[in-house]
Amino acid sequence: MSQTTTRTIADHFAEQAERRPDAAALIWDGEPISYAELLALADAAHAEIEGARLPLDRPVGIRAKKSPEAIALIIACLRAGHAFLLPSIELASETLAQLFAQAGTSQVLSPHGPRSESAASLRALVDDARAQPGEGGLGSQSEWPPAGGAEGVTFMLTTSGSTGLPKIVPLQNAGVDAFTDWAAAKFEIRPGTVVANYAPLNFDLCLLDIWTTLKYGGTVAMVDQDRATQGAYLAELIGDNEVNVLQAVPMLYRLLIDVNREDGRTFPSVRHAITTGDKIPASSLAELPKLFPNARFYNVYGCTETNDSLVHEFLGLAEGNVPTNVPVGQPIPGVIVRVQSEDGTALEGTGTGEFMVWTPFQTRGYLKSSLNEGKFVTLEDDDGRTYYKSGDIVRRHDDGTLTLEGRADFYVKVRGVRVSTQVVEQAIQEHPAVIEVAVIAVPDELAGARLHATVRREADAKLNSLQLRQHCSTRLARTEMPSTIQIVTDPLPKTSTGKVDRKAVAAELERSRANGG
Amino acid sequence: MADETTTKIKTFIVEEFMPDVPVEDLEDDYDLLTGGVVDSLGLLKVVAWLEDEFDIGVDDSDLGPDSFRTVAAIKAYVDQARDPAHAE
Repeated sequence: MSQTTTRTIADHFAEQAERRPDAAALIWDGEPISYAELLALADAAHAEIEGARLPLDRPVGIRAKKSPEAIALIIACLRAGHAFLLPSIELASETLAQLFAQAGTSQVLSPHGPRSESAASLRALVDDARAQPGEGGLGSQSEWPPAGGAEGVTFMLTTSGSTGLPKIVPLQNAGVDAFTDWAAAKFEIRPGTVVANYAPLNFDLCLLDIWTTLKYGGTVAMVDQDRATQGAYLAELIGDNEVNVLQAVPMLYRLLIDVNREDGRTFPSVRHAITTGDKIPASSLAELPKLFPNARFYNVYGCTETNDSLVHEFLGLAEGNVPTNVPVGQPIPGVIVRVQSEDGTALEGTGTGEFMVWTPFQTRGYLKSSLNEGKFVTLEDDDGRTYYKSGDIVRRHDDGTLTLEGRADFYVKVRGVRVSTQVVEQAIQEHPAVIEVAVIAVPDELAGARLHATVRREADAKLNSLQLRQHCSTRLARTEMPSTIQIVTDPLPKTSTGKVDRKAVAAELERSRANGG
Repeated sequence: MADETTTKIKTFIVEEFMPDVPVEDLEDDYDLLTGGVVDSLGLLKVVAWLEDEFDIGVDDSDLGPDSFRTVAAIKAYVDQARDPAHAE
């Protein structure tokens, strides 16, 4: 139904290609690729898909690293009316096979076409996963179609899967359509606008920087995944291509700040700079107006399940109005927020509680419907609305703004007291010489858990653990004070999304302890 | 100016709990407990070391936090334990 009433991104893209065939759709490896060229690539991929006569009532899998061909393949799937699962290529092949099997994919496509070798080997893996009996092959049984119906499902993304198999999130075309409309209006994305794409192709962030841009006739300047941590490359891509809209995790901004310190490069073309995915440190925030003299600055809050739900615009950054605790923002028009107290009632006024949200863009639930319990909650007292329980604890201030207190999962018990490791990280991060920090809970027989902080300081700063403790003593309770503090100057390990990888920090710590270090 | 006992105590605390800090940065009156340098488990380590190093007995009833809150307090405790006559 919605499929016939809502046009897909492929339809809009084709229209843009007809109207302005010579305009650049993508910039890849320094070269522009016009709308006509990308359309030709999509036509070729579409012909291959049609030729393979894949069943339309089953999804396809896409295993693709970011490239113009991969984007063309997605356009082709949208045009052919296939729902498609687009997982991270970084996942282990067994995990990928399980995901493709769970999605009930008829075929795994890669940008070189359904007959390529890598696709064939993956197909074999999928068959293997299916052949396993239900017991052993965890998550390998097809869960297709979604409980809410297959109608209108296009993109199927996955959660980051920090524990267990990533969860498959089917998105309705209508939701994608509404989101891209909002994003285009909010960040002025239209013909001629250059939007940088930093995130890998399987991220929900691409719905903004790639798919909104192609729908509205702009140009996507694509960051090569293999060079995503090279500051000089990123500065060149953003500067030379005169990027207007930039959306990325705080790490990108940190890399650009380092480049700016080296050679003073600024990015006057940027009009909208969006930080997302993680809390940006005040020390980075304060530098942004220097790098982007003509930009407006935003923090965007969202997740794969709901897409973006809140936006905060930083006003007066250039005048030194730098918040240490970044507000998560105001609801996007149409978004409904509920802050739920521990007793299950909606919080009125100020206080803390779990952030629950309903957005016009959200999924109807995970593909594996048994996962929905406790995450998607329908509240009878609230018009029967289905909220997504984010797992984030927020504080509502007296002026109505929300700030993030931390993940519900980050609460640990230290000597019987509930402590959020993120609150501790935040306090440490406020020290001007601190670049980044990971606080982890180390299991302890006596205390239950003890806190350890690994802190990266500015290389030329003199900060030591004693000074850091002094800094923290006015900000943290005794139970929140880390038992051990390690100060380093090398970058902390990062996840594929550019966030500090606490698990890797914990593993490193364990290794050094095991070696008696 | 720092006497030998104070230096020994500081060196132990720094080596044990904050190896990145120069010994001379640790002030005599720095609050080790509020600063989280020594927690209740760390305190047991300190006591075990004191007993060993200075050959003194630490009574359980002395294990209140105030006896060991600062380097100065620890030194006073050691002095008193070694030579009760001169204490007070």
